[in-house]
Amino acid sequence: MNQTDRPIANPIVVLREEFDDWAVLFNPDTAEAVGTNPVGVAVWKRMDGKRSIEDIAAEIKNSFEDAPDAAFKEIAAFVNRLAENGFVGLELESK
Amino acid sequence: MPEELKDKTEPTVSKVMRTPRSLIIEITSRCNLRCRYCYFFNNPAMVYRDLPANEWLTFFDELGSLGVMKVTLAGGEPFIREDLPVLLEGIVRNRMRFSFLSNGGLINDEIAAFMAGTGRCEYVQVSVDGSCAEVHDSCRGQGSFDGAIRGIRTLQRHRIRVAVRVTIHRNNVHDLENIAHFLLDELGLPDFGTNSAGYMGTCCGNADDVLLNIEERKEAMATLLRLTAKYDGRISSNAGPLTDGRMWRRMEEARAQGKPAFHNGGRLTACGCPNNKISVRADGAIVPCNMLAHVELGRINHDSLAEIWQNSPALNQLRNRHSIPLTGFEFCAGCSYIPYCTGNCPGLGYTLTGMVDHPSPDACLRRFLEEGGAIA
Repeated sequence: MNQTDRPIANPIVVLREEFDDWAVLFNPDTAEAVGTNPVGVAVWKRMDGKRSIEDIAAEIKNSFEDAPDAAFKEIAAFVNRLAENGFVGLELESK
Repeated sequence: MPEELKDKTEPTVSKVMRTPRSLIIEITSRCNLRCRYCYFFNNPAMVYRDLPANEWLTFFDELGSLGVMKVTLAGGEPFIREDLPVLLEGIVRNRMRFSFLSNGGLINDEIAAFMAGTGRCEYVQVSVDGSCAEVHDSCRGQGSFDGAIRGIRTLQRHRIRVAVRVTIHRNNVHDLENIAHFLLDELGLPDFGTNSAGYMGTCCGNADDVLLNIEERKEAMATLLRLTAKYDGRISSNAGPLTDGRMWRRMEEARAQGKPAFHNGGRLTACGCPNNKISVRADGAIVPCNMLAHVELGRINHDSLAEIWQNSPALNQLRNRHSIPLTGFEFCAGCSYIPYCTGNCPGLGYTLTGMVDHPSPDACLRRFLEEGGAIA
């Protein structure tokens, strides 16, 4: 996965914000669910196929005071995990 | 709730998720059968009136907007609705999955193919109460066994998961070994669940003929514990003799050895349902649970489900049953099992005592032993 890849949230996936600090992404077609924290929710809401992972990471770092320097790496890993499960698609940067 | 307990149980609402994860919806009050222990019919809390499809579809839109993940369709018999495909389309459109509680007799290839085609069906629970028609039909009516098995085979052909539930009563308690063999070996089901007929609805009028007596409960517990070992965990339960047998064995062991109280022991902690799901009656009344059908919290399409879920005083009171100590109940006075007891099902507690906030006498180990019971 590259910094320039633009993730798109699978529109069939449901975001359930269950508690202030906990949410679930649920794919009704597969019954798979992934738990996530507020940062994950913020990432999810930005995966519109227009922002690159780099863009999303930059926005997250600005939005969350305690976002670590390794935010990009962690966000990329999160997006990658979602992509493997079919929760997001990736718009690849053409070269 | 006993008066003296009220001061001790000042509501401290535990953290509740913003919306329910799942609902049980009785989409119809009609049924093709009249089972002798049915909790649904002859229940004074029920209103036997069906809603048109458009009311359900509007409600499903609300559920979709709340991020509800799953609905369980019950009744009555849910497959009796001629417009079922329209309802299922509404569920699918709103990004939910679905399952059914059914007697199986009205399931045909057409509806099974439709359900399979959605890719959203979790399972269909079909009731099978005997290894043969004679036993099964004794409480469910002539022809119901053939219908149930035909329904199961239809679902299997369409690769829809079948979850059989065996309700244990006086007429099938001696057939459990045959039932397990029939379901697991002959029908090839991966597993099945059990419970027992409870003192609700139609059963109240047939209690002497249907409900297990002490000797039969002992037999059911011993047989089921033996069969679970034989079939390596392929028999499960959330209530009934198998659950009682397992729980009571643990309780007796803990009491005899003077072990510390169980987690959540000694209070009315048995039911966690109101923290993650809610129910709707066939007439559209929103209730905490199908077993507490008299506790009306609001109506679909008139009241906000999210508002009810988060702020209903009746629902929050139910969620706070866990703060009510068993030591305050006269029923529990002097009982040495209190540290290990959770009070069990509030629905059954209500039908047997008239109080929701009361331990269920049906699941009382001390009473069971005093009446001649023994732990398997």
